[in-house]
Amino acid sequence: MQKLIDTKSYIVELTPVKQKAKDLRERLDKFVAKFHQVIDAGYCVSIPDNPMGHLAFQGTELIEEFGLPVPKDRVLCHLNTFHTIDEIEGILSSCKTLGIGNVLIISGDGSDRLPKLNPDDVGAKTNAVNSVELARYIDRHYKDVFRIGAAFNQYEPEAYEFEKLEKKLAAGVEFIITQPVVGEEEILSRLIGYNVPVFLEAWMSTNTTLLADCIGYDLPHDYSHEPLEVLKKLTRKYPECGFYTALLKFKSQFPVLDDIWNGGGDT
Amino acid sequence: MKIVVCIKQVPAAASVKIDPETHRIIREGVQTVVNPYDLYALQWALNLREETGAAVAALCMGPKSAKNSLYEAYAFGVDEAYLLSDKKFGGSDTLVTGTVLAEGIKKVGDVGLVLCGKQAIDGDTAQVAPGIAAHLGWTQATCVTKIGNISGETVQVKRVFEHYTDRVMCKLPTVIAVEKAGLRPRVPSLKDWLRAIDMPITQWGAEDVSVNEAELGLDGSPTKVVRTKAATFGDKETTVIEGSPEQSATRLFIELARRGLY
Repeated sequence: MQKLIDTKSYIVELTPVKQKAKDLRERLDKFVAKFHQVIDAGYCVSIPDNPMGHLAFQGTELIEEFGLPVPKDRVLCHLNTFHTIDEIEGILSSCKTLGIGNVLIISGDGSDRLPKLNPDDVGAKTNAVNSVELARYIDRHYKDVFRIGAAFNQYEPEAYEFEKLEKKLAAGVEFIITQPVVGEEEILSRLIGYNVPVFLEAWMSTNTTLLADCIGYDLPHDYSHEPLEVLKKLTRKYPECGFYTALLKFKSQFPVLDDIWNGGGDT
Repeated sequence: MKIVVCIKQVPAAASVKIDPETHRIIREGVQTVVNPYDLYALQWALNLREETGAAVAALCMGPKSAKNSLYEAYAFGVDEAYLLSDKKFGGSDTLVTGTVLAEGIKKVGDVGLVLCGKQAIDGDTAQVAPGIAAHLGWTQATCVTKIGNISGETVQVKRVFEHYTDRVMCKLPTVIAVEKAGLRPRVPSLKDWLRAIDMPITQWGAEDVSVNEAELGLDGSPTKVVRTKAATFGDKETTVIEGSPEQSATRLFIELARRGLY
């Protein structure tokens, strides 16, 4: 994943297509077009796993069905703890077959439809499986197959989050992706000091309500989120990091991404 | 023999909003889903198909957009799908809904078993399944968490109530209303969905069911909603307590005591 940083290649999150009949083919076509656009630009596609607990198609299913390209290290599939062990094994097996070498392990959001992974099934001695346990399981069984990434939530209490980070690294995690960065956050300097590739999430929507929900605290009343300006500041302030875009607008924002990271991009 | 699963399209729980003027659920523009209880009924039906070889049909009463729920039923794996849709059905209460669905079940034909979710999450009445059984004159079982031992004559079910469970044998044909328990509804694959959205849906209107028009819809429904009121909630405050578990517990205790809650 360090190569993505060295070559200034973004990780672009593509929301997977939800499981519902309405406009299914159109929504699939849009996903496929965006996937090609990201890959053609030399970036990395990141596909979440049932985000917010809503049933969506797995990245591996979409790639298989539409024969989407998987260049080395340029597809990242998320995997959360709301699966049976058979599903986990099925997804990992598909990733391996497709040549997807990077997986991002997160605890995830459950729902009535999504079963929580059984601790016994991953050899965990805890009451519930979290991202550490799942990362450890994958590291144990697929050490030479996958590079494991994990999330870092800079909005959690610092001591707690760093303790968790160290557990994740000990479990085999090799790269980190943060929550959306909205301002200057001292905690990030400490995170960068861990000497693993760090990708800062750039929130590319102006929807501050959703952003506040995502980061888990209220933003100042007069806070106005200018995604491209924030991204520009991040690329300048954190040259040692990579960048992970969420909710990217493909028409207006995608074309200027290269300029921004390369020092131009006066938007 | 066929197994019919009655499904309902309902607003997704997270997107339910109440019109502050009319105090009614705003249904326009909201995300809809198959009633979660009905997914369990679908899964039971598919499991019973393995045992019996019976064909499984999904039956839905609702607006034309409810076809999307029937496509989801196809993605689950049902063999046939039927939609009862007509403006004349609009505003039907549970009695009329049960009657229309029962007539639909008769039209499907050769039905030995009807499965329903215990209740719909928008109305929460749990009256439709018993209404279907009453209209058809069939046996019924509600609050069911397990179905098995189906033969040509009977089916055995486990029912769970507040203080006890029991096992009963229902004579076929029967109507069974299931809880969200006993199994896990499958998650269809992309291939399942791509196959489903090309499947045919048979649509029936008011003229296709043997019910007097005067007994349909809002006018034909004996239930009258006199008044509903949206609950209001005060502002909530969240306080994050940082520190080690011991420090956090101490601070939490002090905070609760300060607020007179301990």
